[in-house]
Amino acid sequence: MDTSQPVILEMKGISKAFPGVQALENVDLMVYGGEIHGLVGKNGAGKSTLMAILMGLHQMDSGTLEINGHHFTSMTPHEALEAGIAYVPQQVRMMDSLTVAENILAGNLPVNRLGLVDWKATYQEAQERLHKLGLELDVRERVEGLGVVEQTMLAIAKALFSNAKLIILDEPTAALSRVDIDRLFGFVRSLKKMGVAFIYISHHLEEVFEICDRVTVLRNGQLVGTYVVSELDIPRLIRFMVGEDIRDYERSSSKQDEPVLVVKGLTRRGHYEDVNLVVHKGEVVGLSGLAGSGAASLGRALFGLERRGIGEVWVNGRLFTARDPRQALDQGLAYLPQDRYRFGLVGSRPVRENITYTILHQLLNPAGLISFFKERTLVQRYINDLGVVCPSPEQRVNLLSGGNQQKVVFAKLAATRPAVLVLHEPTQGIDVRAKIDIYRIVDELARQGVAVLIISSEVRELLGVCDRILVMYNGKITAEFKAGEPVTTPENILLTIEGGNINEQKQMDPVYS
Amino acid sequence: MDSSRANRVFLFVVDNLIWVFVVVSLVVFSLISKSFFTPFNLVNILSRVAPLGLLVIGQSFTLITANFDLSSESAMGFTAMVAALLLASQKNGGLGLEWNPFVGILVMLAVGVLIGLLNGVFITRLGMNNFIMTVAMLMILRGATYAISPGKSVNFLPETFKWLGGGALFRVPLANGKMLAIPAAMFFLIFAFLVAFVVTKYTRFGRNMYAVGSNRQAAEAAGIDARRVILVVYVISGFCAALAGLLDAGRMDSATPRTGAGLIFPVQAAAVIGGISLFGGRGNLIGAFGGVLLWGILDTGLNIAKVSPFWIEVSRGALLLFAMFIDALKVSYLRRIAIRKVLSASPIGLKDPIQQLE
Repeated sequence: MDTSQPVILEMKGISKAFPGVQALENVDLMVYGGEIHGLVGKNGAGKSTLMAILMGLHQMDSGTLEINGHHFTSMTPHEALEAGIAYVPQQVRMMDSLTVAENILAGNLPVNRLGLVDWKATYQEAQERLHKLGLELDVRERVEGLGVVEQTMLAIAKALFSNAKLIILDEPTAALSRVDIDRLFGFVRSLKKMGVAFIYISHHLEEVFEICDRVTVLRNGQLVGTYVVSELDIPRLIRFMVGEDIRDYERSSSKQDEPVLVVKGLTRRGHYEDVNLVVHKGEVVGLSGLAGSGAASLGRALFGLERRGIGEVWVNGRLFTARDPRQALDQGLAYLPQDRYRFGLVGSRPVRENITYTILHQLLNPAGLISFFKERTLVQRYINDLGVVCPSPEQRVNLLSGGNQQKVVFAKLAATRPAVLVLHEPTQGIDVRAKIDIYRIVDELARQGVAVLIISSEVRELLGVCDRILVMYNGKITAEFKAGEPVTTPENILLTIEGGNINEQKQMDPVYS
Repeated sequence: MDSSRANRVFLFVVDNLIWVFVVVSLVVFSLISKSFFTPFNLVNILSRVAPLGLLVIGQSFTLITANFDLSSESAMGFTAMVAALLLASQKNGGLGLEWNPFVGILVMLAVGVLIGLLNGVFITRLGMNNFIMTVAMLMILRGATYAISPGKSVNFLPETFKWLGGGALFRVPLANGKMLAIPAAMFFLIFAFLVAFVVTKYTRFGRNMYAVGSNRQAAEAAGIDARRVILVVYVISGFCAALAGLLDAGRMDSATPRTGAGLIFPVQAAAVIGGISLFGGRGNLIGAFGGVLLWGILDTGLNIAKVSPFWIEVSRGALLLFAMFIDALKVSYLRRIAIRKVLSASPIGLKDPIQQLE
């Protein structure tokens, strides 16, 4: 890092509260021109909120914000763009069916004397612009024909063409191979030399060490500190991220001896390899891993949303053959999807209907029609049991808060009386109080004998509710942590999630234990 | 809490706006013309809109699952022509087979079901776009109707065949000593809407329709076979089109190559005016019935008021536009509320909240 460079961004004392959460408290962030600045922290640490404020999506409650010497007390998304802030998400969204050149010059295509698009000039202009950045792409190619890394680089280039000074890269490498990562990093480094600043958000800590100059660590909405990367190592960084952690929730085990979900040698190439796991009756097992580790894929495959590949799955002593969600539910396995808006809920329909979709056949009266009496009784029971806060069961689901929506999804799943419940990021985007409610629901279901598998990247959450935690890395289960054992610490789990080996790390860094 | 009550009031009014319109239009036309609010005229309105109503039922089913069936007007014309050809004598344009009317009815219903099945299979199994598929079917069936017809209308159909569309259920004496024939078509229309309402609201299938139309991915993740639901919906639409053909041919005592032509726009209009959302997943059959009524009232009322047919057409268009406007307003309003909830109630600002709502 070159401190002779001007300060591009200075955020000071930023605070932001949401109903039920203090998302940020007195956070500072300073980025120099030509700096690649890492931003790390666990899920819910406040990275996203901080970036949302920087992009003008959220308004800060207090604090000051200075971009390129311009002072802002509040900012709209438009002003943020004007000021030179650009955001490049993990999955870039562009006009896929148009060419690279059209995407670059969209809205400003050169025209000839007749007022028609001058294609020759278009391609030439686009080519030149890319060339200046040292990016060689075929400008006649359609964007959908580009690889993921090219699309990401194109998005960065586009941002620079619209005068971006600071580019936020949000998990840019999650879907990339090592070769592509090297290409992306090469491009980013060359732009850095031109004075472009980057904020680099990633869960892959080794990448932070590879490319960042400094790194800012957030924990529970608070600033831990900003460190020069060359003076840091991974275990210390993890310790900064985890801190003296208090668990969200404590539960005593309700595990029984009988195995309910048994997975034997499940393999699907490119997703997961030789997965073996057992979840017992009343047991809560956590499964964690980085994006692309196979954990998420495994969950979807169990429910029949994706192909499972080879290997065997047994549920309650019977071979599990479900190929689609209906069959999975019929064979006793229910699944809570990560993206509840897309897969979990029918937003424009009432709470009542959302709870009973999967079990309507149990609610028929002798005439074969749905008995509203039976339906109402059942729905009311779940609303009471799970503590769904809604004015009435007829309330449209998309008007409820995130936590209450999630409870509705839980009610829908619980109503099918599953033997196995697979939960995928069950508390994502939910405030703290609702989280505790969700843990209680999980606990209660386990006590009723349901075998629960939680796929989550929130280690703290898993430590609070799980009897055991499995870690997946590169498609394989690489570690198992049992609740209550001394080795089961957030640091160790995070380390294995990152692909590290606890024993090796201990030797490397004797202080660390 | 206050604002959420305001939301609910707003949504309730918007959802039931159609009945406000029905009542207002009844009152307005009664004031304009003395001959409007008479038993004879009201009964007449209901029996005249019966074929349209059947098409609206079929269309509502497909629309609720977020699909179109634009072919239904041609299916209506085609099935009516098939039946007329089988039933009418040779000198009246038929094939001279003069089949038993009941067999004729069964054949035309079977043809309707077959058309729906074709639409459904192509759309769900071959993944063809529903809009284009049904437009293609619209053209094919209209052409086929001309091709099999004798080039003119086929007239003088058997009494039994005509009863449902043009016959009277019973007669009631009026105050002025005349007898008022209560048309069978009127009762059939009401009955059909009741059945459709019960199917959509009180059966698993109906509930699944709404789920598929509202969020297909979530519906499939809940174990609903969306493709089957959509297939069945098209079959129902084809069946309803055949019933519409039966009613229309019965009322007119003839089937012409142009039977049903141009009806698809009023059908869409009536469904949308009745609160069936083109975006799928919203609206109910009672509202759609209101849409059909409003359409009939407006048509008859403007006619009685001696408005030029051109202005009638203009007013139809304006009504449709207005209904679409209300629908779009409702959808964007719901989205706004939902986005505001997502943004304000959760610390996940960045992961594209708009995407999460779809």
